[in-house]
Amino acid sequence: MPPYAERNIKLLVAALILCLAVAGAAIFILIHSRPAKAPYFGQYDANAPAAYDFQLTDQNSAPWHMKDQRGNVVLVSFGFTRCPNICPTTLANLAAIYRLLPPEAQARVKVIFISLDERDSPGALKNYVPFFNDHFIGLTGTPAEISTVACAYGTSYRKAPAVSGDKNDYLIDHSTYTTLIDPEGKSRLLYRFEQMTGSPRIANDILRVLGMPPLPAPAP
Amino acid sequence: MRVCRLSICSAALLGAQAMFAGDIEIKDPWVRAVPPSSSATAAFMVIINKGDKPATLVDSTSPIAREVKPMITTKQDNGMMGMEFADSFQVAAGKKRILEPGADHIMLMKLKSVPQAGTTVPLALTFESAGKRQEIRINAPVR
Repeated sequence: MPPYAERNIKLLVAALILCLAVAGAAIFILIHSRPAKAPYFGQYDANAPAAYDFQLTDQNSAPWHMKDQRGNVVLVSFGFTRCPNICPTTLANLAAIYRLLPPEAQARVKVIFISLDERDSPGALKNYVPFFNDHFIGLTGTPAEISTVACAYGTSYRKAPAVSGDKNDYLIDHSTYTTLIDPEGKSRLLYRFEQMTGSPRIANDILRVLGMPPLPAPAP
Repeated sequence: MRVCRLSICSAALLGAQAMFAGDIEIKDPWVRAVPPSSSATAAFMVIINKGDKPATLVDSTSPIAREVKPMITTKQDNGMMGMEFADSFQVAAGKKRILEPGADHIMLMKLKSVPQAGTTVPLALTFESAGKRQEIRINAPVR
């Protein structure tokens, strides 16, 4: 074999080794690099503002302060106890999500239902909210207090025409978002009504905000 | 007395059902379990019109509620949702209409008894198609 041929073979081998090394390194990096974090399921606000701080009255007629909830996740929804469709759907789905959470997370998740209805007394809320889950909290206040809190959380509402001849027998049209307040007291995530299903993805949003590991993946 | 009259009425209409049976099918009916203090709840289902004429739900009754009405859910851009009575629900020929949470439903109002999870709620739904009436009676599970 002439010397130039031997040199060419050596070069070829060297080039091949280099190629393999580069390819191997690329594969190694691809496999071992941290994948980009999946987006949250809810509408995430990276620059979340501090949630409006308020005090309302709970279903046991005791004062309830938002500021006492630092370190917890608070899920806030608005409605009324005579609501036959939207509110029970939201609360039943929140209850399904709550059941998915491990006990250490449940202890740090507060689900509050704020009544937009001046007919709802603490007693009415006590008959209603714990039906979905014993740990859920119903809140009420004066019409002025409720109006302020609803406005601060972007909730619109209005009395709908009475459903029967009785003028006190009215329903309330209302916004149907659920807001997630993070442990720092910021309005971090927003769920539309259609999103607020009993989905494990919402449970995983909650766990992630709490800095806890996600739910175990379901068995195939 | 009321229940008695209802059952006679239903029995009479059951005869009518046999005449047009097969055009309307009700699939997966259920009623939302609500707190015992509730005055209203909602029934959900899929109404399938297998006929070649549009069908209209013109009347609904249930022994557990004084008023049973079709409701449509309205939604505005700002996420505000509300409900409006519909005089009827129409189902086009060969189509289905889905009644589901947060959308169209049959509202049971002025409840005489609040349905509990695990029980069933009887519903009598009267459909009209091409001038003919068909009553369908179902037992919707409560959950």
